[in-house]
Amino acid sequence: MSEQPALLSLTEIARAIAEKRVSSREATQSCLDRIAQWQPHVNAFMAIEADAALEAADAADAALAKGNSRGALHGVPLAHKDMYYDAGKVVTCGSHIRRDFVATTTSTALQRLKDAGTIRLGSLQMVEFAYGPTGHNAHFGAVRNPWNVDHITGGSSSGSGSAVAARLTFAALGSDTGGSIRMPAHFCGVTGLKTTWGRISRFGAMPLSQSLDTVGPLARTAKDCALLLGLMAGADPADPTAAALPVPDYTSATREPIKGLRIGVPTAFYVDDLDPEVARALDETVAVLKAEGADVVQVELPDQRQLTAACQLVLATEAAAFHKRWLIERPQDYGPQVLMRLQNGLAIPGVSYLEAMRWRGPALAAHTAATAGVDALLAPAAPVPAPTIAESDVGNGPDAEAVIQRLTRFTRPINYLGLPSLSIPAGFTRGGLPVGMQLVGRSFDEAMLLRIGAAFQRATDFHARAPKFA
Amino acid sequence: MTRPTPKEIKAVAGVAGVPVDAEVATRIANSIGPAFEGFAAIAGTLPFDLEPARFLVVQAAKAVK
Repeated sequence: MSEQPALLSLTEIARAIAEKRVSSREATQSCLDRIAQWQPHVNAFMAIEADAALEAADAADAALAKGNSRGALHGVPLAHKDMYYDAGKVVTCGSHIRRDFVATTTSTALQRLKDAGTIRLGSLQMVEFAYGPTGHNAHFGAVRNPWNVDHITGGSSSGSGSAVAARLTFAALGSDTGGSIRMPAHFCGVTGLKTTWGRISRFGAMPLSQSLDTVGPLARTAKDCALLLGLMAGADPADPTAAALPVPDYTSATREPIKGLRIGVPTAFYVDDLDPEVARALDETVAVLKAEGADVVQVELPDQRQLTAACQLVLATEAAAFHKRWLIERPQDYGPQVLMRLQNGLAIPGVSYLEAMRWRGPALAAHTAATAGVDALLAPAAPVPAPTIAESDVGNGPDAEAVIQRLTRFTRPINYLGLPSLSIPAGFTRGGLPVGMQLVGRSFDEAMLLRIGAAFQRATDFHARAPKFA
Repeated sequence: MTRPTPKEIKAVAGVAGVPVDAEVATRIANSIGPAFEGFAAIAGTLPFDLEPARFLVVQAAKAVK
């Protein structure tokens, strides 16, 4: 094989290993070589477990030589956001408080990927306790964007976005409570799937806000996300909120054309105050989808600012409740920005929180009615390309929440409604930074988003471009 | 629903068991004030027998079969 195995997509490397064109050791070594090159510059990994990974790769190759494949991802090396419990492993959650926490259970999502044959490269950096959209981390340093290391990755799945973009891992788990998969996907130029709330079990995933938390993948293509979702989705006795709905064949969905589908572009909010280069990417995305045969129409949505406000009330309250014991006992062990954000939740009365929770049903019904005539919505994932690390390092100053609100403006309403959303690479700025668009679907209709995303990726090559090591 | 004042926030945080000083209370008021204002049109208008679990009913009803 002429190119580095690490440059293949997840789907491609899984097939190459299964067909013995590439060994698991070669794939793993290729990732480790790139990690050694990139890690000092992007800080994407929390832990690198080279020896154990190679040992596991050799075992996978030996098993395959005997005709024993563990599953669809046999021998594929992956790394995930450091908030997925893996029994016996330190899981820092990006924090000082859990710097030495050793998990005693394994998260359901992670276990299902292991059952499919994946092996562990290490763990990926993240925003402290997944509570921030930029990628800064007061304890472990900011993760850097491989397209330009002076710029943020977005968060909170910062290491996942950076590592997938730099081709250090074929895919990575992230989590999305207010935009934490879609923003790194947008800023780093990778494909990220925020799943419907309840589609994937949250058991063994560090909680931030139980009503909003979702598990999902970041990968290079919609096809890769489809493969991963199919392996992880479904009911779980350990998490009663994981829906017992059938799991569709997501990979088959990615092969379907989009001719005749109706895709809605909001008339307001998601198209307001856009950076000109994001606006250009939106126009160009619409043109591609039309060329593929989709009917793109305008859609008037209910007031999205109310959804954003409700999301903030729910998120802040639930996060503060999870952290209350540590807020009392060891507030000094939080980074300043995360402490500040957790304290916000202390000020929200119980009645206000419950009103925000009670409104979710009517809000989702109103959204569903407004979008009844389309198969999916299209909107930018964020109003701007990646800002620099310096200009977004707001600490706990008075502008901190304003910066956060601006970055998460287009993602939080979707979290409040619990809807699925796929962020896809949709262009680059003149300065070479990626721009992403999000497709938003009906509850549990990830298949539609993956179908549209895959069609878009057959017609474009934004997802296939990799940052060059400078 | 109106934006809480720093004084109210100081009191609520104290009741929650995590007291904050006046400076932090002022900062919190500025941070979360917009959320209260954004939700003001909904607050106090919801029907009596609407439970949070209604969300799951709507979600399941609209799920792709």
